[in-house]
Amino acid sequence: MGTTTEINTDTIQSILKQNKKQIKLGLAMCAHCSLCAESCFLFVSHDNDPEYMPSYKFINSIGKLYKKKGKVSRQVLEDMRDLVFEKCALCTRCYCPFGIDIPALITLGRNVCRSQGLFREYDREW
Amino acid sequence: MNMTTFSTIFSNPVFLNFIKGPMVWLSFIIFGLGLIVQTFRLLKLTQIKEARRVAPEEDLSPQTDLSGWERFTRYLAFRRVSVLGSNACLVLISVIFHVCLVVTPIFVMGHNVMLDTSFGINLISFPEQISDILTKFVIAGGLIFLMRRLFLRRVRMISTVNDFILLFVAVAPFLTGFLAYHHIFNYQVMIVLHILCGELMLILIPFSKFFHMVFFFISRFMIVSEHSMGTPKRSWQF
Ligand code: HEM
Ligand code: SF4
Ligand code: SF4
Repeated sequence: MGTTTEINTDTIQSILKQNKKQIKLGLAMCAHCSLCAESCFLFVSHDNDPEYMPSYKFINSIGKLYKKKGKVSRQVLEDMRDLVFEKCALCTRCYCPFGIDIPALITLGRNVCRSQGLFREYDREW
Repeated sequence: MNMTTFSTIFSNPVFLNFIKGPMVWLSFIIFGLGLIVQTFRLLKLTQIKEARRVAPEEDLSPQTDLSGWERFTRYLAFRRVSVLGSNACLVLISVIFHVCLVVTPIFVMGHNVMLDTSFGINLISFPEQISDILTKFVIAGGLIFLMRRLFLRRVRMISTVNDFILLFVAVAPFLTGFLAYHHIFNYQVMIVLHILCGELMLILIPFSKFFHMVFFFISRFMIVSEHSMGTPKRSWQF
């Protein structure tokens, strides 16, 4: 658990603004085809659970933040933390036929979480 | 509105002349200029960068002295990381869909007859039976994509309304062309819808996810990455 319970929307918005072009391009070019799924070892090792699909992870982290202009609740951000920290090892093995840099986008999702005091919980029991 | 009312609107000569003349020009101009402008904007997000050495020179140069077995295992390794290995069937369907989508409109007899009568430009055309089959491939591919989007959970989870609309925009010119050619429903209505759908698709290509037809080549052939092809020199400069 992070130390703060408040969300600093300004910080989130400045991260979004700084990386706007990259986020916009990634979101616009993703064909939502799901071909990147099998390239993620976590997807495969979790019984093909779609929540581990690389595109799902960036669309529902940095993509969601971008669409909501950074205005999200603490709960939403905590779920996002699970997505970008626990469900992705940032191994950069994902393969998209268009060459969308998925790990870079997930990294941005992590940046936002980190800026709000949300990190990986190594001592969490699953 | 029933088919007959549609038919009266669609046979109005002013309307017909507009969509068969100026609107065609306008669509092609928006399509062409749009592609140029959008490509330029995309290239502005990239920059030529000195390649970073990640391995000794001799490890980077292509190996030509591989044995047949080594070639085979490398091929297997490539198959493992690429979508050709994990989704061979879908890739095949997608390639057929895309090739037919791009090639059919250029070589369909009906289009080339118009080019000939209007401008005296005489291009080769496919026999009508061939175009008919290629059109069926596009429609079938579109149907398979639609089924995936509706019934595969992992595709549905990332789908938006836009994906359905754009899939329809891509397939509609082929569907209406097919129906018109076979005189299914009202020919006059179908041919007008066919023209309108074709124009809509052209206009939307530079400004929608269809722009992937340019993005694909820039990002895979011009940007340095692990999976890039050829000898790219650029990197993203967001
Ligand atoms: C000519 C260059 C093009 C290339 C290299 C290309 C490549 C691709 C790739 C790699 C995908 C994603 C994966 C897949 O579903 O196979 C895709 C999807 C798609 N493309 Fe293209 N494309 C091109 C042109 C076009 C054009 C001109 C259109 C339509 C106007 C189009 C329509 C679509 C659609 C609708 C999808 C998504 C299919 C779905 O719903 O899953 N493509 N394309
Ligand atoms: S990231 Fe690439 S492979 Fe994955 S869904 Fe989007 S376009 Fe398809
Ligand atoms: S970087 Fe993350 S999403 Fe990509 S393959 Fe690795 S674990 Fe999966």
